[in-house]
Amino acid sequence: MNRVLLVHLCLSSLALAQDARQIMSEVQSRSQSKSQHYEGTLTVTDSRKRIAEKRWEYNRLGSHGDSKAMLRFTAPSEVKGVALLILNHPDRASDQWMWIPANARERRIALQDRSTRFFGTDFSFEDLEERDVDQYDYKLLGEDPVDGAACWKIESRPKQGKSSQYTSSLLWVRKDNYAIARVESYSKEKIVRRLQYSDIQKVQGVWSARKLEMFDVGRNSRTTMILDKLQYNVPLKEEDFTLQALRRQS
Amino acid sequence: MRRGLICLVFASASLAQDFAQRGFLDTRLVLYPQKSADDKGRVVAESWLRYEASRLLLPGLRLHGALDARTDSHRQVEREPHIDFTDRTLRRPALSVRRLSLVYNRGKVTAEAGKQLIRWGKADVLNPTDRFAPRDFLSVVDNDFLPVTAARVTYESGANTIEAVWQPLFTPSRTPLLNQRWTVLPPEAAGIALRDGGSRYPEGSQFGVRLGHIGKRYEGSVSFFDGFNHLPLLDGRFDPSSRSVQVQRFYPTLRMFGADTAVPLHWFTVKGEAAWFTTRTAQADEYLLYVIQLERQSGEWSFVGGYAGQAVTDQRSRIDFSPDRGLTRAFLGRASYTIDASRSVAVDTAIRQNGGGVWLRFEYSQLLGQHWRATTGFTLIRGEPDDFLGQYRRNSHAILALRYSL
Repeated sequence: MNRVLLVHLCLSSLALAQDARQIMSEVQSRSQSKSQHYEGTLTVTDSRKRIAEKRWEYNRLGSHGDSKAMLRFTAPSEVKGVALLILNHPDRASDQWMWIPANARERRIALQDRSTRFFGTDFSFEDLEERDVDQYDYKLLGEDPVDGAACWKIESRPKQGKSSQYTSSLLWVRKDNYAIARVESYSKEKIVRRLQYSDIQKVQGVWSARKLEMFDVGRNSRTTMILDKLQYNVPLKEEDFTLQALRRQS
Repeated sequence: MRRGLICLVFASASLAQDFAQRGFLDTRLVLYPQKSADDKGRVVAESWLRYEASRLLLPGLRLHGALDARTDSHRQVEREPHIDFTDRTLRRPALSVRRLSLVYNRGKVTAEAGKQLIRWGKADVLNPTDRFAPRDFLSVVDNDFLPVTAARVTYESGANTIEAVWQPLFTPSRTPLLNQRWTVLPPEAAGIALRDGGSRYPEGSQFGVRLGHIGKRYEGSVSFFDGFNHLPLLDGRFDPSSRSVQVQRFYPTLRMFGADTAVPLHWFTVKGEAAWFTTRTAQADEYLLYVIQLERQSGEWSFVGGYAGQAVTDQRSRIDFSPDRGLTRAFLGRASYTIDASRSVAVDTAIRQNGGGVWLRFEYSQLLGQHWRATTGFTLIRGEPDDFLGQYRRNSHAILALRYSL
């Protein structure tokens, strides 16, 4: 009897694990596009309720997990021209280079420095990466609604050998459209950041959050990003995602 | 015809969108607590306006322009309001072209021609391979890069890059004015007046090539430069009748073989840069400069620490002005901390290994609203009179700066 129960339990947990993996594959598959463009308006509210606003322009070329992205600040004037080039790899962490016009040189962001906040926002350099689902192990924890929408609650952990500042993350995936509704990121079981997705709309066939709110728990600071002019499958060129492109467009 | 007109309208609309501009107005006060022998001024006020713009002219072709306008209270800036393009004046020009260049890109090739900033190397405090980057050293320790007139072609293929630079017009580094506090005479020369005898600029062009590779676990470059040192040797002629020395600057030939690398490790990034310099000028030294540094960011902290060294392979005794070599045989460091989204502090330091000279700069900076930034800090210089840093020991100073970014 006990053995049957044990086998049943093992099979159930295996099925749940498989489900979580399948859900995440479906999330990735449904958000797939050849390219993406948006203009982000970021409002940073620190623990003392002081507000700073920044804007950046974001372009991505390539499919999820194997893409190249260029992010360039357009405001405020003090950071205008600061840019970040991200080369995402399917099997490992991304490569990142930052360009600051005043230095006139690009600087590689080392892996161990990716937990640093990106230019005064609550996003870390690592948060700007796009990682393939195969870089994580998943576990379905159950169901938990977010903003009234039914969601699967999934735990993800970086696979052995995959470097990350986070030891685990909890993801809430909406059941109706497979859009991510919330992500909580943990370091040694302590929550570090919470990312809330809202204003989820279907844009060119892709369910997309038009509002992202990143909350840095340790600093009690939050960054709200509104995505304007969001477009998918826009014509972008490979040559605009290189170190030379970082420099020549500044 | 109508289609052509529609195309033109759309083209001009897209051009109008592809225009970018930025700039700032910076006003600062520099306070020197101590007098110097030949310069009684202890308060210097400076104002500096920079405007930069770029426009996409055609697909793949972009025009960049930048203009600097300056004024000050200490005659470090020229009073004649002409637009300077060559950056060869002894004082800072009141109006100067910071950038005027065309950038063309097609596929893997990027070419830029005109006045531009060119930076080589990977280290932070000292860059031996940075040969196309003369500087304004009027206030030696608070310096800024000068642009050069050059053509630069870069071919980038995957992880490999080859870059060639041709600079037809020589741009020297701007050296301290002879009648101001950043020119320091040895005690035995007290009472002798210095007269500026001008500069002998080299004729001929400069050339450099740099090969870069970016690997999974490291990135590195090797570089070659053939041209002239933008830092001068000094030719002094004593006139006993007037008890004065006429000082003339001249610029030795320079050939450089260099390399730089950055290796991210588990705890920190190791950066190294080295260059060996040879010359055909009989009065100039041949030497090797190298820098090794460790770098780490942790939370809101950023640390850089390292050592800069020098090995002279052929010593020829001449007087020179050489801040790059003056910062060698020294431990270099930088630490900065971001307090919050609007405030940060930073400390830079250089300590000569024999203890002969110390330079330490502390800076606190705060953003005020969306456009204004206030910065305050002090620079402490101590050391022996015969040390490159120590000679400026009476030039410790405090700054108060306010910048409005456009």
